Amino acid sequence: MEFHASFPSRLQLSMQTPEQSSPPRWPLALLRFFIRDQYLEEIEGDLEEVYFEFLEEHSKRRARWLYTLEVIRLFRPNLVKKLLSPTLHIHLDMFKHNLTISLRSYWRQKSSFLINLIGLSTGLACFLLITLWIKDELSMDKFHRHDAELYQVMEHITGPNSIGTTTNTSGPVASTLVEELPEVLAGVTARTKSINPNTLSVGDVNLKAKGLYATKDLFRLFSFELLAGSPDQVLLDPNAVVLSESLAKRLFEQASNATGQSVELAHETALTVSGVFKDTPASSSLQFDYVLSFESWSKEHTWVNEWNNTHPQAFLLLDEGTNIDLLNEKIAGYIGRMTEGEDDHRQLFVRKYSDNYLYGGFENGVQSGGRIEYVRLFSLIALFILMIACINFMNLSTARATRRLKEIGVKKSLGATRGSLISQYISESTLLAFLSCVAALGIVFFALPQFNLITSKELSVSFDAVTIGFLLLTIVGTGLLAGSYPALYLSSLKPILIIKGTLKSSWGEIWVRKGLVVVQFALSVILIVSVWVVYQQIQYTQDKHLGYDRDNVLLIEKEGKMQIPETAQTFLSEMKRLPGVQGTASLDNTMTHSDWRTNDVHWPGKDPADHTAFEVIQVDYDAIELLGMEMAAGRSFSRTFGSDTTAIVFNEAAIKYMGLEDPVGMRLDMWGDSPEIIGVVKDFHFESLHEAVDPMIMYLGDRGRYMMVRIDGQRTQSTITAIRNLYLEANPGFALDYQFLDDEYAALYAAENRVSTLSRYFAGLAILISCLGLFGLAMFSAAQRQKEIGIRKVLGASYIQLIRLLSLDFTRMVGIAILIGLPISYYLLRNWLNTFAFSIDLQWYFFLGAGLLALLIAWLTVLLQMTKATRVNPVESLRNE
Amino acid sequence: MTVIVLQKEAYGVAIRKELQERLNTSVSVGSVQSALKRMEDKGYLSSEFGEATAKRGGKRKKIYSATPTGQTVLVQMKEIRSGLWNSMPPFQVDFS
Repeated sequence: MEFHASFPSRLQLSMQTPEQSSPPRWPLALLRFFIRDQYLEEIEGDLEEVYFEFLEEHSKRRARWLYTLEVIRLFRPNLVKKLLSPTLHIHLDMFKHNLTISLRSYWRQKSSFLINLIGLSTGLACFLLITLWIKDELSMDKFHRHDAELYQVMEHITGPNSIGTTTNTSGPVASTLVEELPEVLAGVTARTKSINPNTLSVGDVNLKAKGLYATKDLFRLFSFELLAGSPDQVLLDPNAVVLSESLAKRLFEQASNATGQSVELAHETALTVSGVFKDTPASSSLQFDYVLSFESWSKEHTWVNEWNNTHPQAFLLLDEGTNIDLLNEKIAGYIGRMTEGEDDHRQLFVRKYSDNYLYGGFENGVQSGGRIEYVRLFSLIALFILMIACINFMNLSTARATRRLKEIGVKKSLGATRGSLISQYISESTLLAFLSCVAALGIVFFALPQFNLITSKELSVSFDAVTIGFLLLTIVGTGLLAGSYPALYLSSLKPILIIKGTLKSSWGEIWVRKGLVVVQFALSVILIVSVWVVYQQIQYTQDKHLGYDRDNVLLIEKEGKMQIPETAQTFLSEMKRLPGVQGTASLDNTMTHSDWRTNDVHWPGKDPADHTAFEVIQVDYDAIELLGMEMAAGRSFSRTFGSDTTAIVFNEAAIKYMGLEDPVGMRLDMWGDSPEIIGVVKDFHFESLHEAVDPMIMYLGDRGRYMMVRIDGQRTQSTITAIRNLYLEANPGFALDYQFLDDEYAALYAAENRVSTLSRYFAGLAILISCLGLFGLAMFSAAQRQKEIGIRKVLGASYIQLIRLLSLDFTRMVGIAILIGLPISYYLLRNWLNTFAFSIDLQWYFFLGAGLLALLIAWLTVLLQMTKATRVNPVESLRNE
Repeated sequence: MTVIVLQKEAYGVAIRKELQERLNTSVSVGSVQSALKRMEDKGYLSSEFGEATAKRGGKRKKIYSATPTGQTVLVQMKEIRSGLWNSMPPFQVDFS
C-alpha cells in the first residue's frame, strides 16, 4: 500500500481517463510483490506503456495475456527482491540461540517447567473445549441456504399485567402473508413444537418415529437435503410422507427404493412415500424422522384454520433486503383486523429463524436472554481459566528471574539490546505455549467423548485451516500474554546492579506479583461460590414439592385403539388389577409445559379488556388423587356425583386472580356453558420453576392424550413388564412407549443441569491451576528465604513459628482475593437466580464457606511446600557463603 | 549504444522499441531492464527520473545516459571487436 502513497499523481490521472482499461490486477500485484522497491516505479510505468501498445495492436484479452507474460519474464535475479537479507540470518541464529536457552532453562528448572506446562495445558484444554462448544452453539440453525432471509412469525400477547411472547400462531397466517405482501416470497405452516412419536408400519415392521406436519414448501425454505423427490413436489399430496434416510432404511432396508411405497401411520392411515431426506443434522434445532402434509392434519382439526385459534408455527422466506422494521409495522395489527377486533391483543412480528435458538427468551415483549447467556457465561469461564493459567506463568517466571539475573546481566553488558531480551522471553513463553497446546490437544481428544456426553453434542476436532489458524493464534496470544510481563520487566533491569548483586525487588514488582495472585484467587472464589449456588438451585428445583407427587408415575401416550375413550377406560381398569399398580387415570398434560390455554372464562367483575388465558388441563376421575394433589377447598371430581361433567376445578392462583370469595358452588360462563366450581386445588407447578404458577382450570374428560399409572417403586421392572404384555394384547401393532413423569420434569432443567456439571469441572480445574501457581510461588519464596529459615532454626524457632511466618504473606493475599471475589459473585448469582420465579435465597454461609474453602486450599498448598523447606537441616542451607 | 543513440529519450520502453526495430525480433521488458540494471551497477550507465505521463499511469520515466566510463568501455569494446575483425582471415567458401 505504500506504493500508492508515493505516487499521488497516479490516482488523479487514472481518474481523468476512466474509459481506458488498466492493466490486469493480479500480475500487477505480483510485480509489486517481487520487484525491488527502488526499481518498481520505473518498471511498472514501462510495463503500463507497453500494455497500451499491446492494446493498440491486439484484443484486450491478448494484451492482458502478453502483459502477464512480460511480468513473468521480469523474474530476473538482479531485479527481484532479496529473499534472505543479511539481517534475517542474524534473526534466525538468534532464534536458534533463544530456543537452546529456553530448552536449557526448562531442563534446569524442571519443577517450575512442569508446573507451567500442566497449568497452561489444562487451561488451554478447557479453553479449547469451551471454544468448540461455543462454535457449535453459534452455528446452530445457520446451515440453511436461505438463513439470511428465513424468518419465523411470532406473537406478542398483551395481557393486563404483562406481555407474553409465543411462536404459536394461527393456521392461515403464513399463506395469507404470502398472498398479500410482495416481500414475502414463500411461507410454511408447520407443527414444529408438537413433534410426537407415532407408529409407522410396513408389513410386520412397526417403528416409533417422530414426525412433523408441514405445508408444501418446507424443503424449499429449509435446507434439509432431499435424497429422493423434489423440494416443491414431495408435500403436495395430503397422503404423502417424506422419510428420513435412516427411517427409510429401517422400514425398507434400502433408502433408495422407498419412494412410491406405502406406509401405514398408526395402523389407520395409508400413506405413500414421496421422498427421502438426509437425516436432520445435529446443527439443526428441529429434529424429526418424517414429514407429513399439514393439510392431512388440518382437515381433521379444522379449528386450526380459524384466526381466533393459535397452534402451529409459521415460517416465511422474505425477499432480500426487506426492511424488517417496516414489515413488522405492517403486520402488527394483522390478527386484530382479521378477527374484526376480537383478538387485537395479539401482535404479529417476524424474527430471523436462526436467532430463535440463541436468543429465545422474551420478557414483557422485549428480547432478553436465552441460550446466549450460557454461551456468554462459558466464554467468560474460558477466558478466566486461560487468564489464571497465564498468570501462573507470569508469576513463576518473574519470580524465577532472580535465578537468571546473572544471565541477563552478562547478556546486557555484552551488548544485548532490550529488544533481543524481550524477544528471548517472548519466544520462551511461546515455545511453552506451543508445548502446552500440543498437550492440551491430547487432553481434548481424551476428554471429548465425556464432554460430548455432558453437553449432549457431537463435537469433534477437525484440522482445517480455520482450526489451525485459531490454534496458532491461541498459542501466540497465550505466549504474548504470559510472556509480556516477565519480558518487559526483566529486560528493563540495569546490568550494573544485577552483576553487583545489589538488585532488590522493587515494590512495584512485588505488587504486580501479589496482585496477580489476588486476581487468580478472586476468580477461583467466584467460581467456587457459583458452582455451589448453581448446584443448590438445581437441587432445589429437583426436590421442591411441586404440589404433586411425581415419583413412580408412568406416562403412556395413547395410540391406535387407545384413542377410543372406551378402550382406554377398559385398559386402565384392567391395569389397575395388575400387582404393583397403585392407580391409573387419563390426563391431557405432562405437567411440564403449558399446552392449552383459553381466555373464554367470564366471572362477575371481569375487566372486558382482560384477555388472560387460563391453562386448561383435562383430567379424568382419580387423576387429582393419583398425582397426590391437595384440595384447598371443596372436592375433586368423583364418580359418586352425576353432574361432574359440567363441573370445574380451579387452582388457588386462578381464584386469587379472579378475586372470588367463597368460590365453591359458584357458576361462571365458560365456553358457552355455565359450569359449577366444585373445588379449588392447591397450587402446583405445571411448568418449569422459571415460571410463576398461572391460573388454571381442570375439567373432567376421558380424552386426554396420556394414560398415567402410579406403580410400586419396589418392583418397577416386573410391573412395567406386566403392563407391556397387557398393552400388546389390548393394542396390537403398537409397542409400549412410556416415560417417567420425574424424567420429564428433569428434562426441563437439562440446560441448568449441564451448566451445573460443566461449571463444577471447570471450577475444579481453575482451582487446581491457581493452586499450582501458588505452589510454585511458595516453592520460590521458600528457596529465597532458605538462609533466613536456617538462621531462625539455629536460633531456636519452632516449626509452627516458621510456618506462620512463611504463610502469613500468602494468607493475606488470599484474604484480599476473597474480599474482592465475594461481592462480585454475589452480584452475578443474584442476577442468575432472578431468572427463576422460584429460587433459593443466597445464604451467608455460601460465601463464608467458599472463602474458607479457598483459604484452606491455599494453606494446604503452601504448607506442603513450606514443610519441606523447614525440614532442611540449617547446616545445608548455611554452609556455603 | 542504443542509450546513446536515443539520447534524451533513452528510457525502458523506447530502448526496447529501438532494439526491436533494429534487431527485428521481440525483446521482453525483463531482458532490457535486467541489462540496464546490470550496466548501471557496473557504472557504465547513470539514470535520473524524468516526467510522468498519463500513458504510464502517472509513473515517472527513468532516463538513462552513458557515463564516461561507459563510453570508454564502449570505445574499448569497439576496438577489440574491430581488432578481431581485422585479424580474421577472409571467408573461404568451400563449394566442393
